[in-house]
Amino acid sequence: MIPLQNFLVLSALLFGIGFYGVLARRSAILILISVEIMLAAVAINFIAFATYRDPKAFSGLVFALFVIAVAAAEVGLALGIVLRLFRERRTANVDEASSLKW
Amino acid sequence: MFARLPLPSQFDRIIITGGLVGVMVMGPILIALVTLYMMSRITGGEVVFYLASVVVLGGAIAAVSLSNLVHSALSLIATLMGVAAIYLMLLSEFLALVQILVYGGGVIILVIFGLMLTNAQDDPVVLDGSQKPFAFGVGAMICGLFVAAALLAQWGPLEANLVPFPDFGKRLFGDYGLPIIIVAFLLDIAFTGALVNARRAEHAGSKEAAK
Repeated sequence: MIPLQNFLVLSALLFGIGFYGVLARRSAILILISVEIMLAAVAINFIAFATYRDPKAFSGLVFALFVIAVAAAEVGLALGIVLRLFRERRTANVDEASSLKW
Repeated sequence: MFARLPLPSQFDRIIITGGLVGVMVMGPILIALVTLYMMSRITGGEVVFYLASVVVLGGAIAAVSLSNLVHSALSLIATLMGVAAIYLMLLSEFLALVQILVYGGGVIILVIFGLMLTNAQDDPVVLDGSQKPFAFGVGAMICGLFVAAALLAQWGPLEANLVPFPDFGKRLFGDYGLPIIIVAFLLDIAFTGALVNARRAEHAGSKEAAK
């Protein structure tokens, strides 16, 4: 059987990569992709703990399902905002969208 | 051979390059893992786990470091499908299927649509900001913290248990019924908001003209 630590280390590496992407990238879509990677890391952690520590209560699995649903909602809404920003400003660069109202 | 297929040539090149890079990276790793398995140092499950980890981490690194936006989005597919394989290794096949359906079917398509609609050809796309070294430091620090915490903690008796799917369904729609309804409302509100936001605003233009 694969030890739990393997899954936790994989999830930590994935979360670090996603965090780097969120901080380093400037295109809004690429930031969205990095956020997806971070959410996947969190879901791996939830499911690993649910399978190894808490097999009867299913809490981790249910929360992983909610993470997936919230990620889908977040992508839809964020892409709507990015499209609106692009139409108003002709850019998808988050550094140029620093004012709240224009 | 590729000339007969109804594919644009750019896409051919992406597939060929991606396949070659994948084979060159995965080949040695596969040989090493199979050798270790033959010497019975690791089990078959671990071989699959390490292969899936390589796919996940390689796709993630490519997604945050490639300079072509479309290549980044395509690398995200590798990451998310690898994550589905990791879910299978964690004995929760239902969530693996949900992952493939939602991410492979919905999220990736949305992201690529977003890329196509916002990728202005005349604008130089600024990919990476000036805080790249800072971002690398913070990411490495968080990653190291989590890895140290996972490796140093004293876990109790650990064993993976298969989750029976009918019990999961009963639990999900019984005890977690209210959160399910809240998530349904959240999805509804989010997609309505996205629609309202991304719609072409006819009224706004006329208002601006009236002013």
